[in-house]
Amino acid sequence: MKTLIAAALATTSTLAVTAATAQEDPVRIAVLMYGNKAEFVQLMERYASEHPAVESGDVILTMYDGRYDASVQNDQGQMAINTMQDAIIINPMDFEANIDVVTMANDAGIPVIVTNARLNTTDMTSEVVSDDVQGGYLEAKDVLEKLGCEGNVVIIEGPKGGSGEIQRGQGNEQAIAECPEGAVTVLERKTANWSRAEALDLMQNWLSKHPGEIDGVIGQNDEMALGAIEAIKAAGLDVNDFAIAGIDGVTDALRAVKAGEMTSILQDARGQMQGSIDVALRAVKGDAYEPQSAIWEQYADDLSWDDGQNPRYDIPWTIVTTDNVDELLKDRK
Amino acid sequence: MATTRTLKQPFSLKRYGIVVAFLGLCALVSLICQIRVMQGVWPVNVFLTVNNLMLILHQISVNGILAVGMTFVVISAGIDLSVGSVLAFAGMMAASFATRSTGVTPWSGVYFVAIPVLAALATGALCGAANGFIVSRFRIQPFIATLGMLLAARGMTMAVTGGNPISALSPEFRWFGTGRLFDVIPIPVVILAIVFVLAWVLLNKTVFGRYVYAVGGNEKSARTSGINTTSVLMWVYIVAGFLSGVAGIILTAKTGSAQTAAGTAYELDAIAAVVIGGASLSGGVGRLSGTFFGALIIGVMNNGLDILGVESFYQLIIKGALIVLAVIFDSRRQA
Repeated sequence: MKTLIAAALATTSTLAVTAATAQEDPVRIAVLMYGNKAEFVQLMERYASEHPAVESGDVILTMYDGRYDASVQNDQGQMAINTMQDAIIINPMDFEANIDVVTMANDAGIPVIVTNARLNTTDMTSEVVSDDVQGGYLEAKDVLEKLGCEGNVVIIEGPKGGSGEIQRGQGNEQAIAECPEGAVTVLERKTANWSRAEALDLMQNWLSKHPGEIDGVIGQNDEMALGAIEAIKAAGLDVNDFAIAGIDGVTDALRAVKAGEMTSILQDARGQMQGSIDVALRAVKGDAYEPQSAIWEQYADDLSWDDGQNPRYDIPWTIVTTDNVDELLKDRK
Repeated sequence: MATTRTLKQPFSLKRYGIVVAFLGLCALVSLICQIRVMQGVWPVNVFLTVNNLMLILHQISVNGILAVGMTFVVISAGIDLSVGSVLAFAGMMAASFATRSTGVTPWSGVYFVAIPVLAALATGALCGAANGFIVSRFRIQPFIATLGMLLAARGMTMAVTGGNPISALSPEFRWFGTGRLFDVIPIPVVILAIVFVLAWVLLNKTVFGRYVYAVGGNEKSARTSGINTTSVLMWVYIVAGFLSGVAGIILTAKTGSAQTAAGTAYELDAIAAVVIGGASLSGGVGRLSGTFFGALIIGVMNNGLDILGVESFYQLIIKGALIVLAVIFDSRRQA
């Protein structure tokens, strides 16, 4: 038995040596996702695997599913450090509770990049995010422009107290404040917890309460906007009589945009994920590293690489309308 | 027959207590609405319109159907925590046979509409059978057995598509969620009514139904008196699983998409409806009419509080208080 193990060890070490002489050791990056039930997370994981450095084998990614629990995610951060990962990318569940991961990574001397959602700290290596205030502003602006800054809107909010609801809500308010005072009335605002099924029930109740009065629907994500569309259809009303917008650019929303039913503000999962991997690689490999993802080329006007040293990268939003939806749909299966 | 009749409660305050509670809640909501009308805030009492009442039935259809299955389980002195997950799994299986998007699963496509329906029903019944097998053969506590299924079915829901949702469903399949009978009654409401009637017959007019009460009242004496308790329990969980499949079809067809997080925590609303309806978690006691009003009370509360513009946190507090009050009322009356 002992000899067997020794032989196995010898073989693996030889293999390791050969690999090392052929190319550098692959960089190992832990990706901590808050959960994996949402399509957006699936997209991020897919784009992560499509990053050129991952495809070429220069980077080995380990994905963790945080199961929508901040403390699970903190444990997984500790596990990533214990298993000697070279860098951590975290898409945090909680604005406050997951700061621990940044603290632990800093103590261990590992670069840590925050992506998609925010953490209430500035101690991370870098953030690669999209500005939710801006996203909320753009979607509300789209609805209000369609209404000519006049009429009644309802706002379907994200989970109360989450950074998404707070910041997208601020953006919604900004856009409403740009209309003449009193021209736009927010008839109702309530959470549907990012859920299409909950938004469907909520919108049905609102349509029942305000028959013929609602002109616009601001859904703080696409799923809830889609739920509102289903409610409007179920009530036998014409979706085209409503101005509807959501955020994220999930596939169903893109299809609804194509059908002329809503506008979606695309949050670029590829930009956030592949951008994060480039920034992580720069932190691990040093200043000789050149970013490999196509996103830096794509956003050359709005987003500069700056040697991968910026504390924050704002991945731009894309307003999805019938003009650009076909191109985006091609990228989805 | 004589023994089981004593287990049920033929004529009791509770039977009417739930109706009184329901009418009281409706009266309260419409009173507040009426005050707003008199203040000139609203032109009409929006709560008391035919459309809104139909809407409430539409909205309770999924929970109502889950609660019917839960009633059988609770009367048998069990609990089924897996109904929400099984709903999601069944909905995902159905959607995979009714979608225009190709490649989400190896077999996905638009099949004749009976196929997705059967897929969901079979998935639900099989999950229920697994629950029933573990509960009745291995004598594992239902809480634990169905907790296992809660996790496993959620995992399988994600495994089917690698975590992706399935959308672009065929119009024939979506009819189960969006269609209307005679252009008036939503199909989910029709299905809800059929489920209640059939379940009522099964529970109250068949030998199986009496056995369910007997097993829940006292399993040992039921077994001694010759009832095959293993088989009864097995079928109780199959009924619950099957109805989760029915609910999965409706929810998926209603929202137009099978989502991996669908039905999360729905088991709690189903249990709430059953408990508010007067069933006892220690088994042997409960009736479907109570469950129906329990589901209605939750539905009226959600609808009414949305209409009155009450914040969602208060909604949870009120629902929580209501469940506990229902049980306190129940235990005091029995004492």
